[in-house]
Amino acid sequence: MQRDHHDLWGGLTLAAAGLGVAVWSGVHYDFGALRAMGPGFFPTILGALLAVLGLLVAIPAWTRAGVPSPIHWPEALAVLGAIVLFGFGMHRLGLVLTTALAVLLASWPAERPGWVWRLALCAAVTALVWLVFGVGLKMSIPLWPQLSRLGIG
Amino acid sequence: MGAWEGLLYGLGVALQPEIMLYCLIGVVLGTLIGVLPGIGAMAAISLLLPITYYITPEAALVMLAGVYYGSQYGGAVSSILLRLPGTPQSAVTALDGYPMARQGRAGQALFASMVSSFVGSILGIVVLVLLASWLGRVATQFGAADYAAMMILGLVAASTIGGGAPAKSFAMVVLGLILGTVGTDVNSGVQRLTFGSTQLMDGVNLVALAMGLFGVAEVIGNIRGSDHGSPDKVTFAQMKPTRDDSRRMVMPTLRGSALGSFFGSLPGTGSTISSFLSYAMERRVARQPERFGSGAIEGVAGPEAANNAAAITAFVPTLTLGIPGDPIMALMLGALVIHGVQPGPMMLEARPEMFWGLVVSFGIGNLLLLILNLPLIGIWVSLLRLPFRWLYPAIIVFVCLGVYSVRGSSFDVLAVAMIGAVGYLLALARFSPALLLLGFVLGPLIETNLRRAMLISRGDPMVFLERPIAAGFILASAALILWSVWGAVRSARRRSATR
Amino acid sequence: MGNAEMSHFTRRGAIAAFAAAATLAGAAYAQDADWPTGPVRVVVGFPAGSSPDTLTRLITEPLAKRLGQPVVVDNKPGAGGVIGVQTMLMGNDGHTFATTINGPLTTSQRLVPNLSYDPATDVAPVALIATSPLVLAVNAESPAQDLAGFVDLAKAEPGALTYGSVGQGSGAHLTAELFASAAGVEMLHIPFTSYAEVTTSIVGGEIDSGFMAPSAALPQVQAGALRLLGVTSPEPSAVAPDVPVMAGQAGLPADFQAELWNAFIAPAGTDPAIIERLNTEINEILQDPAVTEPLLAMGWQAQPGTPEELATRIEADTAMWGGVIDRVGAAAN
Repeated sequence: MQRDHHDLWGGLTLAAAGLGVAVWSGVHYDFGALRAMGPGFFPTILGALLAVLGLLVAIPAWTRAGVPSPIHWPEALAVLGAIVLFGFGMHRLGLVLTTALAVLLASWPAERPGWVWRLALCAAVTALVWLVFGVGLKMSIPLWPQLSRLGIG
Repeated sequence: MGAWEGLLYGLGVALQPEIMLYCLIGVVLGTLIGVLPGIGAMAAISLLLPITYYITPEAALVMLAGVYYGSQYGGAVSSILLRLPGTPQSAVTALDGYPMARQGRAGQALFASMVSSFVGSILGIVVLVLLASWLGRVATQFGAADYAAMMILGLVAASTIGGGAPAKSFAMVVLGLILGTVGTDVNSGVQRLTFGSTQLMDGVNLVALAMGLFGVAEVIGNIRGSDHGSPDKVTFAQMKPTRDDSRRMVMPTLRGSALGSFFGSLPGTGSTISSFLSYAMERRVARQPERFGSGAIEGVAGPEAANNAAAITAFVPTLTLGIPGDPIMALMLGALVIHGVQPGPMMLEARPEMFWGLVVSFGIGNLLLLILNLPLIGIWVSLLRLPFRWLYPAIIVFVCLGVYSVRGSSFDVLAVAMIGAVGYLLALARFSPALLLLGFVLGPLIETNLRRAMLISRGDPMVFLERPIAAGFILASAALILWSVWGAVRSARRRSATR
Repeated sequence: MGNAEMSHFTRRGAIAAFAAAATLAGAAYAQDADWPTGPVRVVVGFPAGSSPDTLTRLITEPLAKRLGQPVVVDNKPGAGGVIGVQTMLMGNDGHTFATTINGPLTTSQRLVPNLSYDPATDVAPVALIATSPLVLAVNAESPAQDLAGFVDLAKAEPGALTYGSVGQGSGAHLTAELFASAAGVEMLHIPFTSYAEVTTSIVGGEIDSGFMAPSAALPQVQAGALRLLGVTSPEPSAVAPDVPVMAGQAGLPADFQAELWNAFIAPAGTDPAIIERLNTEINEILQDPAVTEPLLAMGWQAQPGTPEELATRIEADTAMWGGVIDRVGAAAN
């Protein structure tokens, strides 16, 4: 039996999310009335609507062939990991080190092996970022490791 | 002072070497900063504010305004080349601009965006000069019900742009609307869906959302298999739009300019609404709507004309009423106040040199932008010749920094990772991120205006039909829905007839 | 500014700090005589270019010259200024301070669930910078010619008169409710998100009135579209000198007042000598017309004062707004 797995699972996830929002909002936030709508009015209605739409996406997908597009795991993990590393590193390591590490991590799944080009890229991007943000825009961004924040802070 | 005398007078102000210089600085900085993903006019203007205390108020205003509309030109570049829109308006440009770039037509897409931006701005200036006071009065006549109805029209019109299954399009709009409710509820002060996080009290960060849904998702999907040879060197002749392209651009540009000029003058998100409306309109009137989404030049020209026209007429409420229509306008207004200039209804009489000087500088600035940007197209396009493995780590870092710079928040950067993961999955399952973004931007406006309208009318929904403006938008929405249904029925009948 | 002048400030500052440290805190703080030993960071809980940010930069620029060290303004906007205060408390290193509007120190404890700090114990007041009253604005064609007329209008049909604010729990909302309870009237609250929207709505005749910052109303007043009925400061405000004081009028008590303010604060536990030093410098800066005039243009009246006066103000406002929040909350449920 052929199924359109993307729409099936996408639709079901959206339906579940919608249901979750509707129930959470219905329980926690005042619904109000038309004359004075409460904070729960919109989220509850929208959540229910999303649940219905999610099902409308999922149901036809049950009996329909889809075009599969597989998840690129290494690429996704490296790119998202680099962003997370950036988020955690910025405050503690400063712009320069964080950028260098994020570039190294992000470039890991690239199809060409070797370290020379990675290091060259790392140096180039770091220099560019330092020039644009540190020197050019003069944003109040920590450039180097903040010792006070590495330890106790 | 009539329009002609005013323009001549303004020419005298704007052509002073000092003003010209600051205009040039403004538009150059605007373009460059607009190109950086995530860093928009807001960040650029706040960085420049301290400098403005040391120059004349005319020069300050001209420079800041140059950054504002200049960043629109720059924003189109990163959305077309890399699918990195920093604003909902640029997200519309990316819908067809990015597919064009992937087909090796980046030059044409950029050319179309620059030229239609220029035309849109010039027509916006004409509207500003001729109709400013009328538009200003219209803006004060817009009540909560009218805004709510207008946003609903925007949503209805835009829901058709996904092109795929209607349920998938609507689901994305609704998901966007739900994301828009996150944060402090203006009416009750209740923290909604923040799960105790102070960082979410002001809602999900728009830049983080746009970057995660578009840029990050796109990068992840493109790394594999991208290492083959890069496109050949393009000559200037190849970058020029073909005769067919130019013909296709004319009407969308004019229609987009008209939409942008009108909606831009309304305080709020006139610019976003007009971009989406323009795109939806072009798709609707096109003979082959299926070309949209896979590189239709009309889908670049129309929205770009609309958002640039809107960037000009957005000055209407600020200059004629002293009421800033968006946070960026509020910044500029603040800069003027520091100089002791009070923008508002009296400004045209009290400080004509400011008003007319600024208006003429819009024209000069846009001309400078066109002259500056056309030769740059070659450089931008050659950026694409870099192997993707060199490009994408830099893109990721710039995205992170752009988001971080909005309010110095690591939380927002981590949010990009999470939104990027969701955005990647949505892209795999072919859900439209542009509609999610539109729902997110319009959601809070619909909600607050609808609730406000109901409070003021004491819960009477008839207010939507009693107020002429609101009724007009509601009728237009209904007509659009009927038109869609009729179109679907007709195409289904045609299909069964050919079978 | 010349080098000689700068080193003069530095030296004088150092001596003052040394003297203060020695007398106030004893030998334990002697090492801080060199303060500041590095760049000073001032966190602002609002975006660059906003009114609280501009106000802060007007202060930090001369402050840097006086301290002989760079003073870096760090914008950490969010949650009505709460994120700024939180950021300052995280960077408690003797060189991190903040400026804040009144909300995060007076009302946030009641309005923000799980607030991570207690203004009374975690924050050390340094100096009040400036205050701003609110004005009551109505459409120029409103039948209410003055405050008494407005109160009569509101009493004629309780709950029918509408007023706009910039959101539930905002200064504009709480001030309006304070006024309503003091005048014994009932009005319908219509929340907006910015003063720009409130003014447009009053000018367009959609809502009846609103309390707002004078700077948001003045252009429309000059154009003849809005009328101001009163100001909430105890004395006529330099920001809106022609507007009558509300206190004592139309049945309002003589001590009726509500002011927004901006203050310079430090994390609790900061060396008292440093606080003393900063207070002295800021108060001197607030005497300079090059600072006070732009402040006034923005709608802020400079208000020099001691850390103790600021502490008293925080306490009094917390109690006053707390009472309003209780009443509003009770009415809403």
